[in-house]
Amino acid sequence: MEMNKRITILTGHFGSGKTEIAINLALNEKKIHNKIAINDLDIINPYFRSRDVSDIFEQLDIELIAPANRLQTSDLPIVSGEIYRVLHDQRYRVIIDAGGDKDGAMALGQYYHEWKELKPELIFVLNANRPYVSTFEGARDTIEQIEQAARLQVTGMINNTNIGFETSMEDIHKGYEFSSRLSDLLSIPLLYTSISVDIEKEASYFAKRHRVMFIKRYMKLPWEG
Amino acid sequence: MGKVLMKGNEVIAEAAVQAGCKYFFGYPITPQSELVAYMARRLPEVGGLFLQAESEIAAINMVYGAAGTGVRVMTSSSSPGFSLKQEGISYLVGSELPAVVVNVVRGGPGLGNIQPAQSDYFQVTKGGGHGDYNIPVLAPASLQEIVELTSEAFDIADRYRTPVILMGDGMLGQMMEPVEFGERNESELPEKKWATTGTRGDGAPKIITSLELNAEALEQRNHKLQQKFARIKENEVRYETYKIDDADYIIVAFGTVARIALNAINKARQQGLKVGLIRPISLWPFPEKPFFETRDRVKGYIAVEMSAGQMVEDVRLAVNGHAAVDFFGRTGGVVPTQEEIYQKLLSVSGGITV
Repeated sequence: MEMNKRITILTGHFGSGKTEIAINLALNEKKIHNKIAINDLDIINPYFRSRDVSDIFEQLDIELIAPANRLQTSDLPIVSGEIYRVLHDQRYRVIIDAGGDKDGAMALGQYYHEWKELKPELIFVLNANRPYVSTFEGARDTIEQIEQAARLQVTGMINNTNIGFETSMEDIHKGYEFSSRLSDLLSIPLLYTSISVDIEKEASYFAKRHRVMFIKRYMKLPWEG
Repeated sequence: MGKVLMKGNEVIAEAAVQAGCKYFFGYPITPQSELVAYMARRLPEVGGLFLQAESEIAAINMVYGAAGTGVRVMTSSSSPGFSLKQEGISYLVGSELPAVVVNVVRGGPGLGNIQPAQSDYFQVTKGGGHGDYNIPVLAPASLQEIVELTSEAFDIADRYRTPVILMGDGMLGQMMEPVEFGERNESELPEKKWATTGTRGDGAPKIITSLELNAEALEQRNHKLQQKFARIKENEVRYETYKIDDADYIIVAFGTVARIALNAINKARQQGLKVGLIRPISLWPFPEKPFFETRDRVKGYIAVEMSAGQMVEDVRLAVNGHAAVDFFGRTGGVVPTQEEIYQKLLSVSGGITV
């Protein structure tokens, strides 16, 4: 899946899978474009952030913009000032990985004047198997709160419904149905469904009929191969 | 309700709510803040009360107050904040009040860092606060196991009128896994006749206190507490074993480290090395039985921990010189890798001789 706009911001409820999608998006964009920058604006999570897979970005020559090394695990809500450089440099494709919920989206609000000029895509990542977004009301409230904190309108949704390593096609269908209806209800386009490469085979029929981005999981636990 | 994808910290909170915990007093600290945040949102939905205290010390004393009324109550923290709660925990034990205290351990000592660790083992199993006491400590290794053990923690607390600690490391708190909240097994628990909910002319006033000025009387209370700890030691031991029947070497590990060790064990088994695992689930009471049963036939044990070597002391006590006890650990928030554990196995066993 290619990015519609030069700048794509990923938001979502807490634990929706934004970071894995951000990493996969960056890798996909790198196949087409020369200069890719991924911005880790996560001020919520202490672990499992874009900055924790910095070696992958380095190998693939993708610029990671994150707090300085010595501050990476500082537990401080800091973002790197370097973001301005890539936001205004037209040669860059920019992916911004924000923290979850309205609290994470708050880090986006400070760039209000940039957004007015640059008109980025603001994506809401949805995993309907997470607490508080498995109902329309819950998902709608979360989107509204994020929009308010980010001072931006959500322009697209990604259905990332899964339950981790036990995800089946049933979850994918359920999530697709839910997010399609949510998309109609809120008039926010459903861009595509993201599905783990682990079930690529099972999902092949679904992928023929719907827009799908197959994603690889990069943030692994120490006992996962 | 089907399976949901949750963070470990959220699972602890939801499991507590499902176990009937309606009161939570806490103060946020990484890497367990999601637990506090979840409770803040969830408890009002079930008619409970969430209160962010001004400090960890305030929170544990609020727990003391709530527990005195007989309700199910919980607080949680991570290492430095958990240290602050020690005085209150000792008071809970002394006053015989049930409560669940969660410690999502991070790297220490001191402020340390926010990475996963198990270096609060001594603190949770050997007292922690002042006075003669022990606390039942449960250490889950997966998010599904959190569901079960959180519920058990509340039951044990009520059954023995004593605080129970649920201990995990930062990784367990932050990672996500599918979980299912099934029907809870309601165990039969004693009625809380001691709860201070007001007298209605139906007897003498009820007093909950750990104060006892008379030395003989305080000694009597200590005897009573020690008898209670002996009953807990007899009834509340929990552990799991993996392939220990034919094992030459046994790895001892708890929590997430046991999951990493399991991979190293399987790799060693593929190479012909007979290795098994003892995973203590209750850290106190420490499971001695699987050691008594194996210590005269195995060549050695290796304790693997995210600490400089704490549980290994309990392993040595249980093995009591019958076999060699070795140790491998990483500290400061570094998580041991399966390759490191495998290499340790090779060096202890003298390598593979097939």
